Amino acid sequence: MFRYQSLEDCPLDEDEDAFHALGEEDEDIDQFNDDTFGAGAVDDDWQEAHERLAELEDKPATTGEQEDGTVTDEMDLLGDHEENLAERLTKMVIDNELEDPAIMQAVQTRLPVQHPGGLNSSIWDGSAVLRRIRGPLLTQEMPSVSVLDYALPQRPPQARDEERDLSERALPRRSSSPVIGSPPVRAVPIGTPPKQAAMPNFNQQILCPKPVHIRAPIQQRYPAPYSERMSPNQLCSVPNSSLLGHPFPPNVTPVLTHLQRAQLLGGAQHGRMSPSQFARISGLVSSPLPSMNPKLLQGRVGQMVSPASGFRAFFGAPPPPAPPSAQQQHPPCPGSHLQNLRSQPQMFRPDTTHLHPQHRRLLHQRQQQNRNQHRNLNGSAGDRGGHRNSHQEQMQKDSYANLMLQREKDWVSKIQMMQLQSTDPYLDDYYYQNYFQKLEKISATEEMHGDGPKKERTKLITPQVAKLEHAYKPVQFEGSLGKLTVSSVNNPRKMIDAVVTSRSEDDETKEKQVRDKRRQTLVTIEKTYSLLLDVEDYERRYLLSLEGERPALMEERKQKICDMYDNLRGKMPSQDRPSDDHFVQIMCIRKGKRLVARILPFLSTEQAADILMATARNLPFLIKKDAQDEFGLSLLYLVLSRGEELQSSDAATELMQDNQWTELMLMATRELLRIPQAALAKPVSTPYNLLTLFSRYVDQQKLNFIGPLSSGLGVLLPLVAPCNSLLYQREGKGGCTVTVRITVHLCK
Amino acid sequence: MNYMPGTASLIQDIDKKHLVLLRDGRTLIGYLRSIDQFANLVLHQTVERIHVGKKYGDIPRGIFVVRGENVVLLGEIDLEKESDTPLQQVSIEEILEEQRVEQQAKHESEKLKVQALKERGLSIPRADTLDEY
Repeated sequence: MFRYQSLEDCPLDEDEDAFHALGEEDEDIDQFNDDTFGAGAVDDDWQEAHERLAELEDKPATTGEQEDGTVTDEMDLLGDHEENLAERLTKMVIDNELEDPAIMQAVQTRLPVQHPGGLNSSIWDGSAVLRRIRGPLLTQEMPSVSVLDYALPQRPPQARDEERDLSERALPRRSSSPVIGSPPVRAVPIGTPPKQAAMPNFNQQILCPKPVHIRAPIQQRYPAPYSERMSPNQLCSVPNSSLLGHPFPPNVTPVLTHLQRAQLLGGAQHGRMSPSQFARISGLVSSPLPSMNPKLLQGRVGQMVSPASGFRAFFGAPPPPAPPSAQQQHPPCPGSHLQNLRSQPQMFRPDTTHLHPQHRRLLHQRQQQNRNQHRNLNGSAGDRGGHRNSHQEQMQKDSYANLMLQREKDWVSKIQMMQLQSTDPYLDDYYYQNYFQKLEKISATEEMHGDGPKKERTKLITPQVAKLEHAYKPVQFEGSLGKLTVSSVNNPRKMIDAVVTSRSEDDETKEKQVRDKRRQTLVTIEKTYSLLLDVEDYERRYLLSLEGERPALMEERKQKICDMYDNLRGKMPSQDRPSDDHFVQIMCIRKGKRLVARILPFLSTEQAADILMATARNLPFLIKKDAQDEFGLSLLYLVLSRGEELQSSDAATELMQDNQWTELMLMATRELLRIPQAALAKPVSTPYNLLTLFSRYVDQQKLNFIGPLSSGLGVLLPLVAPCNSLLYQREGKGGCTVTVRITVHLCK
Repeated sequence: MNYMPGTASLIQDIDKKHLVLLRDGRTLIGYLRSIDQFANLVLHQTVERIHVGKKYGDIPRGIFVVRGENVVLLGEIDLEKESDTPLQQVSIEEILEEQRVEQQAKHESEKLKVQALKERGLSIPRADTLDEY
């Protein structure tokens, strides 16, 4: 069922094997179904089992204790204080509904002591975890530097502490069975930087909550099952906690929504809560709390002596007295943080509570630095030098630099390079290759002038892939009758049975005929263009090819040139080329003009001359058709300039004597002058000697007028043809090449 | 290390301050921290800059992760020349107010245009797929 792309692809015929295969597939699917969704779904936590086993392997020494799991872990980590607190709290609890299985489960949720690098480890985990990640980003060794490592002053012994760290870093496991309502709320959003990295004595430990599965059914329950096992955070995360002083009636919605709780816990994990969170919480839970405060604050060193709610002390009290060593290590930071909080309450502070505390500290430090620098800047002359210095300092102290590791950069560039792979770069990446060739040529010629290489132009060397013949054979089943119809990008299936019917001549209207003719011309132009591109490419191929192949290549080239010529002139050689019509049609189209220009160099002289004459004969028509008035004008100028050149050369004495030319020039100048400057078109290119040309026939003021080189078009029509014919008479065949060049230049 | 010379690659731009223009018209300024093959960007210490006339206002935004397809263009900011601008920085409230006024004026003129066209029997369909802002 799932193997085939469309309905039609399924073999309709009675194919036993195929059906059998299908049946087998069905069986497979059913099996899966059963396991995942059906009766066979056993709610055993394979993850849990796996972890247990993994730990068995890793630490045989402490397995006994580990396996007991929740209770002991929590006890160890929370410490004595929490134990006392828990005891106290349990005394306060209304003792009912302990039997609710959901709640019991919530309580007894084992700390997910994650195997490092397991499924739930995020990239934010410390280096210990990262080490085990095998992914595209970290292929070989462990990352050398990360911000967090960099930031931390110490790297503690790994062995014992890793367990603790992992347990705290751990994210709640999902329930494997989707039967129970909504997925569990993550107290810590995925992707949060770790609460701490490998710092055992860090004060956050104690306050790090074990993230709890909060399931829907709990919503309107009394907070019954307080055992000493629950950490204070767990208690708080259970809604309607009696912590609030008095039990709520069942229909009261939880005080904190899940989101808020998550935020709360997320903030609390770092032991610091921003003022905004405090405000939120205290706003929510105000009155019941004062009664709690004295008890909660007992035994707490309130560094944060604040009027805020008891929750604050509960969660956010930074160094509690229990691990004094931690305090000693970090006395400045909480204090400074607090001071920051107090001193700048009005300042717009971005919400940094989700950040790792070290990270946040760094950020604040940097901000302070910036502020100081700005102050200094203002204090000083405010000159650029000062600014630059501070900027440089900032560069050096950019502690966020290299967040993207070298490895990762390489990986991205590897992907980009792979995309540039090609079997034939000249085909796939023509313009880039040509551009670089040109550059190299230029630099080579520059070098020849003796300066030496001016610039190192590093060229991108794209990976070359050998050309492979891909003969795709669709898969065939043994013993099957018939083949599969396979449709792919290279082999698309025929969707429509379109039949081309040629219309009869009688039915067409005049307009349609015209349209068709034009379309045919366009097609001819395209075909000829392909030929032209091939011909232009022959030189390169010639160089790349072997000796034996070269004559063949030459032949091909010649043949193509002939074809092109035929295309241009219309394939009616028998008629002795009486009609220029085909050619004129091509020339009417811009692309056609360019095509002719590019072809001219390849043609033999006769052929070229032929083309030119055809152009000349039909010039008035062409000029009229020229949409942008450039063609005729430019041509005229060029022709005139050519005439001038001839005149100034030796072989042109006859020209001088011929009055026709002079008359022509006079006419031209007169017309040019007549046309007001406004109605002018700009020629494509202006020959350099035009001014000298005109100077012969015109006096100074008129010359200035003509200077800007513009002219109306219609006027010139009668001039051009005689111009051309004159030129041809004078130049003869020898001059033709030059005119060819000029026309080529013009048509570009 | 010269990554991919002759091509457009963002690797050399990492850890530098950039100005990014998004398809919805927003202008973000931040330090480019990370990229990927789709040109998804991670901007650090990002500031959204709103320009109205000769004034501008900055709204600090923190960390931005931008999906590559939404970027129109981005360019490195020369930190030394950054302050060299004839534009005047104003407060956020002020610039938002200015922006609102500008948008309103635009709406008005647009409405008039559409009305005028309608009277003449023309209607320009709204091209919702284009990036219009």
